[in-house]
Amino acid sequence: MSETHTSDETEARDQLLAIAEQFYDQFADGDIPRMSLPTRSKSNIEYDEDADVWVYGDSQSTRSANSVRGARKLLKSVYTVDFLAQQLDEGRSSTLRELYYLSESWDEAEAQFNDQSESDKLVEDLEIVSGVKREDFHMRPEESGAKVMGPLRLREQTRRGDREIHCQEDVGQGGYQIPNNPDTIDFLDTDADFVLCVETGGMRDRLVENGFDDDYNAIVVHLGGQPARATRRLTKRLHDELDLPVTVFTDGDPWSYRIYGSVAYGSIKSAHLSEYLATPQAQFIGIRPQDIVDYDLPTDPLSDSDVNALESELEDPRFQSDFWTEQIGLQLDIDKKAEQQALASRGLDFVTDTYLPERLAEMGVL
Amino acid sequence: MTSFQSTLDDDEDGIAEELAASQREISVAEFFEKNKHMLGFDSGARGLVTAVKEAVDNALDATEEAGILPDIYVEISEGRDYYTLIVEDNGPGITNAQIPKIFGKLLYGSRFHAREQSRGQQGIGISAAVLYSQLTSGKPVRIESRTQDSETANVYELIIDTDTNEPEISAETEVSAAKSDLRGTHGTRIEMALDANMRARGQLHDYIKHTAVVNPHARIELQEPGGELKSERAEEASLPAETDEILPHPHGVELGTLIKMLAETDSHSVSGFLQSEFTRVGSKTATGIIDAFRDEHFGREMRWRPPADADLEATVADAVANKDATHTAVFARTVADAVRDADSIAPAELGALVADAAADAQDDTGTSFGETVQANVVAAVRDALTSDRVADVLGPVDEATTVQKDDATVRGLAERIAAKFESGGDTDRVTRDTLDEYVFRAAENTAEYADATIGETARENVADALWARMATVPDDPPNTSALADDRDAASDLLAAMASVNVMAPPTSCLSPIEADQLEAGLRTEFDADFYAAATRDADVHGGDPFIVEAGIAYGGDIDSEGGVQLMRFANRVPLVYQRGACATTDVLGDIGWRNYNLSQPGGSGLPQGPAVIMVHVASTNVPFTSESKDAIANVPEIEAEIELAVREAARELKSFLQKRQSMRKRQQKQDVIMDILPTMAEKVGELTGRGGVDVSDSLARIMNNVLVERARSDDGQTVTLRVENHGTGSVDVDVTDIVSAEPDGVGDDASVVAMDDEYFVKWTPAVAGDDAAELTYSVDADADCELSVSGVADARLTVSEADT
Repeated sequence: MSETHTSDETEARDQLLAIAEQFYDQFADGDIPRMSLPTRSKSNIEYDEDADVWVYGDSQSTRSANSVRGARKLLKSVYTVDFLAQQLDEGRSSTLRELYYLSESWDEAEAQFNDQSESDKLVEDLEIVSGVKREDFHMRPEESGAKVMGPLRLREQTRRGDREIHCQEDVGQGGYQIPNNPDTIDFLDTDADFVLCVETGGMRDRLVENGFDDDYNAIVVHLGGQPARATRRLTKRLHDELDLPVTVFTDGDPWSYRIYGSVAYGSIKSAHLSEYLATPQAQFIGIRPQDIVDYDLPTDPLSDSDVNALESELEDPRFQSDFWTEQIGLQLDIDKKAEQQALASRGLDFVTDTYLPERLAEMGVL
Repeated sequence: MTSFQSTLDDDEDGIAEELAASQREISVAEFFEKNKHMLGFDSGARGLVTAVKEAVDNALDATEEAGILPDIYVEISEGRDYYTLIVEDNGPGITNAQIPKIFGKLLYGSRFHAREQSRGQQGIGISAAVLYSQLTSGKPVRIESRTQDSETANVYELIIDTDTNEPEISAETEVSAAKSDLRGTHGTRIEMALDANMRARGQLHDYIKHTAVVNPHARIELQEPGGELKSERAEEASLPAETDEILPHPHGVELGTLIKMLAETDSHSVSGFLQSEFTRVGSKTATGIIDAFRDEHFGREMRWRPPADADLEATVADAVANKDATHTAVFARTVADAVRDADSIAPAELGALVADAAADAQDDTGTSFGETVQANVVAAVRDALTSDRVADVLGPVDEATTVQKDDATVRGLAERIAAKFESGGDTDRVTRDTLDEYVFRAAENTAEYADATIGETARENVADALWARMATVPDDPPNTSALADDRDAASDLLAAMASVNVMAPPTSCLSPIEADQLEAGLRTEFDADFYAAATRDADVHGGDPFIVEAGIAYGGDIDSEGGVQLMRFANRVPLVYQRGACATTDVLGDIGWRNYNLSQPGGSGLPQGPAVIMVHVASTNVPFTSESKDAIANVPEIEAEIELAVREAARELKSFLQKRQSMRKRQQKQDVIMDILPTMAEKVGELTGRGGVDVSDSLARIMNNVLVERARSDDGQTVTLRVENHGTGSVDVDVTDIVSAEPDGVGDDASVVAMDDEYFVKWTPAVAGDDAAELTYSVDADADCELSVSGVADARLTVSEADT
């Protein structure tokens, strides 16, 4: 190991090697090599009262070399650990997709991945077992992170040195691009009063064009569908470190409620990182089913899969609040859904002039 | 019309006369020529197979009867005009006098009616082959024979006089042992020239091969122009058990046979006849059959109950005239008491009862109550008994009908049946048929008038209930000679025999091959991976006992293309023709072979794959579909047993195949894991910087394997062999360490054998599941060791010879 390594990198490497040590010990003891993981399903997530987030429960599944399938998984794990340790050693980083293609070059055919979802999932497994985040392994996703616009000054450590950036003055129309590891950012100072996370790009552009960030001192964060980890992490840090209230503005359909869910409560897939990614204090602005009724918005009827998704949410432990049971019940009742852009039926400025100020005032943010 | 009729009559007479005139005796040769298809000689190719078959069957019988393990030699050679067939056995040899019996008249087999399992029943005998040879080549058959302990052999030339159907020895010479063609010191050799060809080579080979399978105690060799076929005797094979001849079973005879037996028997009475001419019939069974015969032949008599208010004593007294009043009273009381005691009574029973009472009364009083008086009394009492028939009939009718029938219907039915009895005659005697008719008519009428339905079942129940109430008559059955002349009565006897339960016939008349010998036979003929055989217990069809056996050979060198080979046997004789018509084929086709892990396209029909299935039916009378005796008939009892026997053997095949498949899967798993674990271990060794690590323990645990490891103490002088059983069941392992120096301190549980400067130290520990055993000894530190382990399947064994 070279001396230029940060302590984080050394720790991540040690944690990974601990997995290898465990296998070694199992071989030496004549045991069957195995690895225990929490069961990653809806039935095994629990509310952590201390952290106020949803985390994995006690149910564990064991992956062991007792079966051909398990043995292959473990071999792949060992090869991946080897690769990650080497990457950390060399101070390099790679994308999840690169890992998948890289496996093709491994001499052992049994260790190669069949598809990218397999390697993605394996990296998550290693995160869980080692307690080290993917970002600390220097693994990043392929897609770029979302963008931020608002009265916020920060410093980002880049490969080309530290940069100080103001997220209104130093950026173009598109806003500040969130790096893959937002923990490389230091917040310097802000005039913002709250954070507004927006689902669709169209609505983000509308808000920026109408100068909403300026007028209301809002940090507008573009979620871009199901938010990437980096976006969720940044949102959490904005809340935790700058003490800003976080609000989420999405379409009025079950899929969008899940987007809010993953911002506020954490996702099932990455429940091991809930404490790190979720912002339990995030508030939902809309579009609520109630808004569809109140503002008489143009709507589409619910499809069968929409209805199934709503019903499944009624059973999801994360949505067991009075607000959600009431709103979902109402939506099933009216059998309608609406997009954010539906507000444009009342004029292009309706959302910034009327809807948001009204809702935010209602929620006590303004 | 009349005139036409007479013309026709005239004509018929003319035809009959003409036919009679044209009738003449036909010679045996002519008979043979006309029926050769029936006898298995319809072509040169098949004729040769049949001739071989008859001669070999004969040879096997001859040797077995003499208690000699058969050694049969068959040679077929092609001459200029004819083929020559030679069949030689190592039997006891035959004498001049025996020749006509053995090669005797066509269809003159002594075994034809024997109730004993024998090959001879199978074909029509060697005589047909002799005749075929003679008719096609014109040459006599040459028979050479040497009896045991004889210094010389005899050579006979035999022809059959086709006019008289008599065998004649045309030449007889004695040759010295040196000049004899016989290969052994005793035996018989038949040489016949015949018109033939080898087009049926396949069937011929099948016949020889199949014969060898079911006769594992025989050595059979075939030499033919196209090559040779040798079947060695299976090791430890013994002669088949001797069979006893048994008498026919009452359930197995046909009417014609029964009449013939009745005519020929020495017994006068039917009871004697039944006991002496049938198996499993003693006096009790004979009585049962005769009672059944009485019911069939004479019918039963209805029993009547005296009315409760009837003054029977007065009735009897009134019927007796001109006798001493006191004595009459005694007689009357005796009769009345007896009738009351009997509850209900039939006319014949009443007659006997009155006669008894008269005798008693005479003993007591000295007054004779003669036949006339008795007849009067019987008539009077009978009138009293039958005064209320309806009441007697009502009971059984009410019991036999369901509660749904209303009282009026039941009563109506009883009244009508009673009326039938009333008009039926003095004796109240009816056969079962007549009784059924009574019930039927009464039911029809009742249904019509009472507007009720009385179904088939109800009628049958009523008739059954009445029949049960009726008394078997005491009439004596006709004697045997009368029965022989009375076809209807004989038919009643046959029905009576069939209706009575008779113990199954003894099985000493059967000689199954037995499962172990059958398996041995399969082993000598087929080089397979798996063998199974099953012999069922004896069962009976139509009075003939039979035993079904089945065997399966699978895998190995057996052809895996297409359907399995099916071998069919009857009384140890292979059936090579008409496979499709055989019950065996039908039964096998109906079995769901996929359940037994064999492929079966379409889910029915013969299975496919590298398997041989054999079925042997042994019986005193194997039912065939036709005279040529190539296919077993579809008799349900036999079919059921064939299925059970085949399934029994197939179950073993299934578990073999499943085991093999799981072993194969296990091997595949082991192959993959064996590839993965060392790579994984190497990688973690590199990563942790701790160096190589041994995976064999982990591997053994994963594969539930038996792990045998050697460890040597630091000074190298103590060797420890550790046997770990990671499976669930206990294993017996043979562990041998081959050491290059003399070992020391070997425990009592081990044996040491020195051989060529090497020492074989052997243990046989039994290690329970999840347990381990340690075997130790001391040896020079420089000595080399090599482990050899057996007793565990290779796929389950991991041997690790760590050298420290």
